[in-house]
Amino acid sequence: MRNKGTAMTRRRVIGFCITVAAFLSFSPAVAETAPLPPPYAGLYQPQGVDEIGWWQVDDEQEQALINSPVLIRDEKLTAYVKDVLCRTVGYDRCSATRVYLLREPTFNASMTMNGTMRVFSGLLLRTRNEAELASVLGHEFGHFEMRHGLQRFKARRSGSDVQAWASLLAGLSNNYHLRRSVQDLNLQIYGSYFRFSRDNEREADLLGLGYLNASNLRPQAASHVWQNLMAEKEASALSRGLKRPKFNRIAFFASHPPQKERATYLSALAVTEDDEREYGTERYREAMADWLPVFLDDQIKLNDFGGSDFIIEGLSGAGWTADLWFARGQLYRDRGHPRDLVNAVEFYRLAISEDPDMAEAYRGLGLSLFKLGKRREGQTFLRRYLELAPQASDAKMIRMMAPDEPKEENEQ
Amino acid sequence: MKRVVLLFAILGIVLNSAQPVVAQERTAVKQGFELKANSGKRILVFRPTVRVGSQSTGGLFEPNADWTDQARANIEASLDEMQTRLGNEVIEAPDAFGEEAQNLQEHMELFSAISRSVINYQFFVGQRLPTKKRDNRNDVFDWSLGPSVADLPGADQADYGLFIFNKDAYGSTGRKILQGLALLGGIGVQSGEHQGFAGLVDLKTGDILWLNADFAMGGDPRKPEGAEKRMRQLLEEFPGSAADEE
Repeated sequence: MRNKGTAMTRRRVIGFCITVAAFLSFSPAVAETAPLPPPYAGLYQPQGVDEIGWWQVDDEQEQALINSPVLIRDEKLTAYVKDVLCRTVGYDRCSATRVYLLREPTFNASMTMNGTMRVFSGLLLRTRNEAELASVLGHEFGHFEMRHGLQRFKARRSGSDVQAWASLLAGLSNNYHLRRSVQDLNLQIYGSYFRFSRDNEREADLLGLGYLNASNLRPQAASHVWQNLMAEKEASALSRGLKRPKFNRIAFFASHPPQKERATYLSALAVTEDDEREYGTERYREAMADWLPVFLDDQIKLNDFGGSDFIIEGLSGAGWTADLWFARGQLYRDRGHPRDLVNAVEFYRLAISEDPDMAEAYRGLGLSLFKLGKRREGQTFLRRYLELAPQASDAKMIRMMAPDEPKEENEQ
Repeated sequence: MKRVVLLFAILGIVLNSAQPVVAQERTAVKQGFELKANSGKRILVFRPTVRVGSQSTGGLFEPNADWTDQARANIEASLDEMQTRLGNEVIEAPDAFGEEAQNLQEHMELFSAISRSVINYQFFVGQRLPTKKRDNRNDVFDWSLGPSVADLPGADQADYGLFIFNKDAYGSTGRKILQGLALLGGIGVQSGEHQGFAGLVDLKTGDILWLNADFAMGGDPRKPEGAEKRMRQLLEEFPGSAADEE
């Protein structure tokens, strides 16, 4: 029994393999790069009953998203991210999509059929410059451009139709071999859904890279995103005593290609002569400055010590700031072993030396000292916290721990 | 017999339709609540959730924008007419912006979550909780959105709020053929899903005064007469409508 879905995906996979093989057969002097994006053809309107129907569903969900409590309602930051997208794919194209930032600490971004792009705050925390962010935004835009959402729906519909007919046939007959064949067919069809998804992701990766190659941002950043993510996952696993994760395995249900494969082909197909290109690190840091402490706090609350430490150290590349020292202190105090508390005390002191009015740092320092048994010293810092933030939500609790001292001469 | 059971298992897993085994309908009224006909109450109708599409051969939902638009228009019109016939005044929910819209969105999601809980844990056989079964025996229906509903846009001008949910999936040609052939072989395959829920909420306290859930509705909301039949079924045991409504 023919399955249209697997035949089509098989062709795609073969096409991709040919591209990579073609690259590998070239000498290094002639580097193969990701194909150029198609020329802009005007604002796209949905066509066909399926697409029009799903765009209506997506429009309603977009309206719900606009009223959602997880949306980050900072117009400046949203405009900045949108601008990075527009600089990458072109201002004409990008007007077809809307970008929404969500307060969600995991690394992800998504694109719906009607052009709603959701970018999670975890992504904004992990990308280190404009080029890295642009590679992800371009990838998501690639999904929209190639209408992957609709294709995926159609593939699932065809696949489930075949499954329905096959099951009926098997049920009506009494043949054991036919039933076994139908079971195999079902597995093959389920597998084809995920294989199709992986091929779509590869296609979107290449399209995003094509945009980046044609922009004035460094395209090697696309590969860096995945290398950093792999390093973070490794750090996270090692800190929990787990084995080093394998990044080149393809699971049956994997909707995306393995990260190692992505890092490899994104690096191979990126343009390498980039003397005039930039990463945009400074502009990116400046844009994220206000939200960085918030995103770091969300990340620490995920309770992933190794991953969070890796992220904080990665951000310290341009120098340690008070926010970063404070975040590190919070992370160590959160884990809370006595050896961690000693480190946390050090980190909070460093934060205070950079920013002497950081109330939260005094709080963290005081609480760490309390837990280490140094009550009097802790109380000094907690009182300083109450001085700096008398209206804090936990002021009453902290005041119980550190009541005002009676006045004494020569009080330090 | 074994063959039929095995086939049910295969079809059940493969066909993605998530319908309950038996088509069901159930209504509940909060204990002690009465709404007499022609009492002139003002009812705020929140924007109904209407989704109409078709069901593919394999059971997937395929949305259809035209049908959804038609159904929404027809449902809103017949709702208006029905409540007026019952002697109540219908107020359409005003447009909300900014914080008000966020608040409204949260409450609509809250109502959706509560009605799902009622359906799963009190109404229909399957996962009913012992306390809810006890409530059923004692005719107790005690669910609430909380008094924050009083701050919703339009709530100050109305006594009760009405939520409507409607989802239709008309079986495609392939699905109907599958159903026919399966029937020849003695196997039941459901073609099409027509679900509707409706709830009445007290806009001062947030208590749910009346809830109706129906997994097998009649009437085709894409046509005005069909929408009327649909609304009549949905508001079948609406408080105050006991006497003469069909």
